[in-house]
Amino acid sequence: MRAYSLRSRLMWVFGILLCVFLGLTGVVLDRAFRSSVEAGAAEQLQIQIYLLLSAVDERDDEFYFLETLQEPRFNQLDSGLYGYISSASTGELWRSDSARAFDPPELGFLRERIGVGQSRFQVMPDEAAVYFRLSYGILWEDGISEFNFTVLVNADPYYSEIRNFRRDLWSWLGGVAVLLLMIQTLLLRWGLAPLSRMALDLRAIELGEKDNLEAEYPKELRGVAANLNQLIESERKQQSRYRTTLGDLAHSLKTPLAVMSGIIPWLKSAEGKNSSEFLSQLRAADEQIERMNQIVTYQLQRAVQADNSLSIARRVNVAETTDQVIEALQKVYADKQMFVHREIDKHAQFIGDKRDLMELLGNVLDNAYKYGRSELIVRIKREATLTDGVVIQVEDDGQGIPNEQVAYVLQRGARADTLMQGQGIGLAVVADIVDSYGGDVSVTTSVLGGASVKLTLTAPASQ
Amino acid sequence: MRLLVVEDESLLRQQLKQGLSYQGFVVDVAEDGKAGLYFSTEYAYDAAIIDLGLPEIDGISLIKQIRGADKQFPILILTARGDWQDKVAGLDAGADDYVVKPFRLEEIVARLNALLRRAAGFAKPKLNFAPLTLDLTAKRLSVSDEDIDLTAYEYKLLEYLMMHPGQVISKTELTEHLYAQDYDRDSNVLEVFVRRLRLKLDPQQTLKPIETVRGQGYRFCLAESR
Repeated sequence: MRAYSLRSRLMWVFGILLCVFLGLTGVVLDRAFRSSVEAGAAEQLQIQIYLLLSAVDERDDEFYFLETLQEPRFNQLDSGLYGYISSASTGELWRSDSARAFDPPELGFLRERIGVGQSRFQVMPDEAAVYFRLSYGILWEDGISEFNFTVLVNADPYYSEIRNFRRDLWSWLGGVAVLLLMIQTLLLRWGLAPLSRMALDLRAIELGEKDNLEAEYPKELRGVAANLNQLIESERKQQSRYRTTLGDLAHSLKTPLAVMSGIIPWLKSAEGKNSSEFLSQLRAADEQIERMNQIVTYQLQRAVQADNSLSIARRVNVAETTDQVIEALQKVYADKQMFVHREIDKHAQFIGDKRDLMELLGNVLDNAYKYGRSELIVRIKREATLTDGVVIQVEDDGQGIPNEQVAYVLQRGARADTLMQGQGIGLAVVADIVDSYGGDVSVTTSVLGGASVKLTLTAPASQ
Repeated sequence: MRLLVVEDESLLRQQLKQGLSYQGFVVDVAEDGKAGLYFSTEYAYDAAIIDLGLPEIDGISLIKQIRGADKQFPILILTARGDWQDKVAGLDAGADDYVVKPFRLEEIVARLNALLRRAAGFAKPKLNFAPLTLDLTAKRLSVSDEDIDLTAYEYKLLEYLMMHPGQVISKTELTEHLYAQDYDRDSNVLEVFVRRLRLKLDPQQTLKPIETVRGQGYRFCLAESR
């Protein structure tokens, strides 16, 4: 389906509404006017009938008029106003002078039975003209005879009035429609201007002319603009982090590569393949490979980690994720048959990326399973002093981490090539992630005797 | 032990096949998820190694389908990304352990041995059927605390029988799980190995740890000592 612009959608909608509204208004007005014209005509015809009635007399079944009729058109041949007197039983009894040569469109009305004092109005179309007819039933003075007094009038003047009205009406309505469409176009342009401005701003950002959406937007768009700005900013930071990570990666790989390129020629030229020197060089090469692996893993983790101070926050249930990780680790460390004391607040939520939470829990719990002997304590609780904050604490009954090494294993942002031999990168990664959430990591001694790792995480908003 | 390795990277697949075969495993390889699914449903395996990033059917779906087909052999996943989301998803789908690339073959072998042992219901890497003790890590057998020298095939045979104590294991099953496919199954090599093993375990023939069930196969009939 074609995506029409907002402007054309609104134009179409308003245009159609306008046409329907003005069209219906026109039709209704037209009908009302026509009815009122016809009612007016019927009223005039009734007056003509009263005129006839007041002037007529009858003798020997002949109708005659005591005086000349006041309405001259009854006496003038083909004047357009015709009078008839008839009875249902005998038909026509009298016709006015004007009707001498007049041939009505139909003659049924002469024998029509109409109640006394009742009148009947009819529009009678003819090939040449249209006539209005009004018949009125009366009871004659003798108290027996019933007659119909009928007057016909040529409707042309009325219809020409209707035509004039109609022409005026539609030209006015047309004018109004054009005016309203013009106003609507202007209103739409004004109403949609902030969106056009936003599109222009975005284009300017694409072209590198602007850094973010700066214009003052109406309140409906302010949220969108703010979110877009966040997104742009977070993308920009992500890009710069990729660059830094790539740089760090390249630099930190150079040292082990240099060592390796020193070892390999030595190995090639070495004589005794089993000499202790040869084996120790092989071991050194092995260590460098392990070191490179750690560097790559660590930098990869840093590169994909979300920038949490800016990214649009999501809520992740900590209890569910913790259960998932514990269940997975119970499988991996099935031999240890580790007993896990869980003190978990089911409603604690982590505001941020689920992947990050998984990484935090995975690394901390994996260490606990690895170094713990038989039991762990996992505590998850909401931090009362922080909005949406959560505290994750994992304790084990292993050897623990000596105090003098705590600072080292937590050395946040430490380049992996400065890590001690054999030291895992788990806690360094944890420290990095926690820091990006503005949180805190502390390592102490557990009541179980091993290490106790406590992560305090805050929501981005409360930083 | 018969293994299925599903890995799309041909060099790695070859390395795994060679390395694991050298370690005494019988290895079948598949290069994508579809082939992996076919092999795993057609043949009986003792364990599988499955890479998570596979063409055709991805690793997680493959594991789900294998478990859906009620195959209970342990599965070890290989993952290149190493993030916990992937590991947890794989374990949640039905895998039993993971190894992050790059890895050392020794690590894979150690994990596999632990998985096989656990799948057989043994919590510790030493199987004690007094007076026999089989150390799965050191691959060493001792009878009444005296080390007995076994050849690689003898060890594999004994390990398989001891991992299924009390069960009758047919010759076909033994051949399939202990020797590569192209091995001549009609030869009486298996009988020869069993005879030699019996002599080494029980020269006086007082213990009779391996019983022949006529027409059906062999049974390891010592009771596990706790």
